[in-house]
Amino acid sequence: MPSLLQRTAEAVQGLVTGLGITFQNLTRPKVTLLYPLEKSNVSPRWHGLLALPVDTETGNDKCIICFQCERICPSRCIHIEATGKGKERVLTRFDIEMDKCQYCGLCVEVCPTEAIVFTPHYEASTYNRANLLYTLEDLHRAAPKEPVARGILR
Amino acid sequence: MRSLRTEELILNMGPQHPSTHGVLRLVVTLDGENIVEVQPDIGYLHSSVEKMMEHRNYTQNIALADRGMDYLAALVNEMAVLRAAETLADVPVPERARYIRTIFMELQRLASHLLWLGTYGIDLGAFTAFLWCMRERELIMDLFESVTGGRLHHVYFRLGGVNEDLPPGWTDRCREFCHYFLNRLDEYHKLLTGNPIWKARTQGVGVLTREQAIAFGACGPVARASGLAWDVRKSHPYEAYDRVEFQVPVYTEGDCYARYLVRMDEMRESTRIILQCLDQLPEGEVRAPRVPLNLKVPAGEVYTRVESPRGDLGIHLVSTGGEFPWRVKIRAPSFVNLHALTEMMRGWKVADIIAILGSIDIVLADVDR
Repeated sequence: MPSLLQRTAEAVQGLVTGLGITFQNLTRPKVTLLYPLEKSNVSPRWHGLLALPVDTETGNDKCIICFQCERICPSRCIHIEATGKGKERVLTRFDIEMDKCQYCGLCVEVCPTEAIVFTPHYEASTYNRANLLYTLEDLHRAAPKEPVARGILR
Repeated sequence: MRSLRTEELILNMGPQHPSTHGVLRLVVTLDGENIVEVQPDIGYLHSSVEKMMEHRNYTQNIALADRGMDYLAALVNEMAVLRAAETLADVPVPERARYIRTIFMELQRLASHLLWLGTYGIDLGAFTAFLWCMRERELIMDLFESVTGGRLHHVYFRLGGVNEDLPPGWTDRCREFCHYFLNRLDEYHKLLTGNPIWKARTQGVGVLTREQAIAFGACGPVARASGLAWDVRKSHPYEAYDRVEFQVPVYTEGDCYARYLVRMDEMRESTRIILQCLDQLPEGEVRAPRVPLNLKVPAGEVYTRVESPRGDLGIHLVSTGGEFPWRVKIRAPSFVNLHALTEMMRGWKVADIIAILGSIDIVLADVDR
């Protein structure tokens, strides 16, 4: 058993070392973000909300209705329906249940025409779960249905 | 003179205790302040991952393994599931993909150990360590994000390689992070290792002897702190681990302090592995051509293991030749280490419960699966 003096010396030394490192860290640049006011930038590969971009040349959907994304989805949250035959085949329903989506990105990977893509949005929360059913129009607009929560500051 | 009548008291900790690292219930039998027996009650986070895997094909199982099992080491879980499927189906994996996988698994180990160190610091009353560990972990998350697109759940590994190649400049960022991290690791050592309070709370507390560790089948840092030099990366090398040089830290004390030191040394070794892999990283393909996403694995069974941050993660896969696995059994390291907890806690005081529980580093999603 070390003597009282020795233990006191150790305690003081531990305190001084700890505080020394703490003060060193005080002078370093801050790493935190004032979140609802400042937003962080996400990388280009970010798995955010899904969107269906419209072909700018023809104005039609890029989707060729091959059902590959519906089949690969591990949580089965994509629902596609189509009518017509051959060239007149059109999408009548393209629903994504975003509350089930696990952002794995397999649908984006299998899509042969890049018709389904990720957007750099990361604020998907809403006050109502029904708002998380994204229909074709929502996916075309590629934006969250509700304005994002701003916190209490605004 | 009549002696005082004493009786044992049953104390119920959890499942909503903030320090139990998830939804774990501990039924503690106390004699005064001393622990007579601890009975962990698990199952609150059971998600039947093993059953769900039977209804998904092997690519979809990657996404499931990410979050259904040990959510703090998602990439290691992906590797575990893929290694079983790839071994059975004999899928070729390009060299570059093997190195990328190794780098990512080691980064994941760093992230997991950092989170453990931070929360263990909170358990023992050292709040500063938590904030600093989160600061460094965030940098690893950013490295992940720019490659995989996800921060915790990546779905990055694929049958026969990885999803996408590294973006330009990523290797330099990663190397820069490794050098930065080694300096921060020295800071943690200065802050915690020599601290008398930290030592008083952990040294000699919750001893698990070598014989007990073997008897309980303990694995990972818990076993290595008890003098058992067992690491799957060394004994059954996979991916690029046989081409890099690293040491397996082993301590013989078997107490909480030894488990802490094992993880601290492992972080240093992980950084070494990452730096070596970055130096050796070959050019070429990252994904084997012509491996379909709905791969049909030939009939048969296989048991493979990987070294997760918590220990020896094994997958027993039985296939009948279809698109889906017929049965998947997950040997979770947290589950086994939680079992050894009963032996570690016997005879210690109530105040040591959290110190011992924190030191084995369990993830309840991994325990219950």
